[in-house]
Amino acid sequence: MCGEHPPGSIDRMRNTDVVTVRGLRKAYGDRVVVDDLDLDIPAGQIVGLIGANGAGKTTTVECLQGLRKPDAGTLRVLGFDPVTQAAALRPHVGSQLQDSALPDRLRVAEAVRLFRTPHGRDGAELLEQFGLAARLRSAFASLSGGERQRLFLVLALLNRPRLVILDELTQGLDPAARRDVWAAIRQLNEDGTTVLLVTHELDEAESLCNQVLVMRAGRLLDAGAPSELVDRHAAEATIRFSLPDYPPGMLDSLGRIDGVRSVNRTGKQVVVRGERRVVAYVCAAMVACESVPADLQVHVPTLEDALLGLLSGQVTPSTQLAGARA
Amino acid sequence: MNGQTAQLIRAELTLIRRDPLVLTFVFVFPIVTMLIIGGAFGTQPDSAFDFTDPSHWYVASYLTVVIGAIGLVMLPVHLASYRERGVLRRFAVAGFPRWSFALAELVVGLVTTLAACALLLAVAAPVYGLPALHDAWRVVLALALGAVCFIGLGVLLGSVLPSARSAQAVGLLLFFPSFLLGAGGPPPHVMGSAVRAIAVPLPLTLLTNAVREPWLGLGSATTSLVALAALTVLVTAVAARRAVL
Repeated sequence: MCGEHPPGSIDRMRNTDVVTVRGLRKAYGDRVVVDDLDLDIPAGQIVGLIGANGAGKTTTVECLQGLRKPDAGTLRVLGFDPVTQAAALRPHVGSQLQDSALPDRLRVAEAVRLFRTPHGRDGAELLEQFGLAARLRSAFASLSGGERQRLFLVLALLNRPRLVILDELTQGLDPAARRDVWAAIRQLNEDGTTVLLVTHELDEAESLCNQVLVMRAGRLLDAGAPSELVDRHAAEATIRFSLPDYPPGMLDSLGRIDGVRSVNRTGKQVVVRGERRVVAYVCAAMVACESVPADLQVHVPTLEDALLGLLSGQVTPSTQLAGARA
Repeated sequence: MNGQTAQLIRAELTLIRRDPLVLTFVFVFPIVTMLIIGGAFGTQPDSAFDFTDPSHWYVASYLTVVIGAIGLVMLPVHLASYRERGVLRRFAVAGFPRWSFALAELVVGLVTTLAACALLLAVAAPVYGLPALHDAWRVVLALALGAVCFIGLGVLLGSVLPSARSAQAVGLLLFFPSFLLGAGGPPPHVMGSAVRAIAVPLPLTLLTNAVREPWLGLGSATTSLVALAALTVLVTAVAARRAVL
């Protein structure tokens, strides 16, 4: 398709994968944006593609949608080559693009009519579900940022796609609208649709995704379930508290709990660090000593903690993935 | 034509109707300027106008002003705005057929041309009267070629200019000299030789000659018609490729 790749590599793609990419490379002039990228998206999952700005996420997605021609690599989306079979592929893919719009004077109802194919879903039902039923006659230019995003989502879901690609899905949405959209994505996934979510919002990825693919500098840095990534890159929980008086031996006993890495006392305040599971043991030990602090604070690492280190670290993609797969 | 293409054409026709730039430049501007210029030179045959009624000279010229406004202002701004804002990418990923947008722009351009020309003639008829058509087929052929040629030019400009603002700036810069030198300005006989040399090869001048001369019985304008036909083939071929989704 677009350059040479080791023979047989495409044969190793799993039948259950909706998207398979091998050796994708894309450069704009001298700037390589995606470099020898391999990735798989299994059917029926919500997969998050995350990374810092310029990591190559949007370019990767645009190659999958057939909007950009790769310089090298092999791509299959739902069994189609997105470059040579874009026309056959696109009816099966619902897309919500970053940085795109509709004509300013196009009304909501007209947009649904324009983008709906004969086998598509009932637009009215989707508009109702996403809170746009009262805006049928509103022009696109008059919609708020959140309403525009919801309309894009309606259009992406309109034609019963097998794969939905959502790039910066909840950008501009208020917290309540985000939750509504998340619920809709979960419902869509439960109905059997595979979702590829490109996002900067790590809480969104953590909440929605079965799998997360982390990109940096055009390469896949790590991949796995959100909890696996947290375990690998931010396993340490932190417990802070202070007591007026510490029972004799209490801090020593906390330090001996399996998984606790450090117990540091500064004045009245104590900080305990260790694996996530020690939170329960530390709290139980304090209850057993009848010393329950009023200011107990527990920080359990999130995907954001894991990825902050991962994305800003010095680790090379190949080293990291080798470690992840081992 | 498949259903999606038909829907896109319908939507584009609806949107063009709502565009104030189209209303101003394509429908109002040619009529207002035709009434002013046509009235300024009166209705007595004049040597500067090849001994024809000056108002009829301008009625026969101003249909091409409509075509020029569509090709040099309306379509470039419309397309550049779509490209700049990612509307075309959205059409592409939604699975609209590759040629659907090019076809939609052709239909929109032709329908707008017909509507604006009909309105211009409807206004001109009671004010100045409509000049008799000496060679109707040649006039229709020239108008059809000119409409397609300028639609192609519009699509081409809209596909290479980076933004709607730049398309508007470049479009107006091309439109007004073309309008003044080749269609709605002073007749060629009163222009100096240098200005006339600039005016002669302009696409709008070729089109206006190819329409006006057979309409008013001043000649067949075969050279202009052939040049216009060649330009139409070239521009349409390039524009069609540029407008593919």
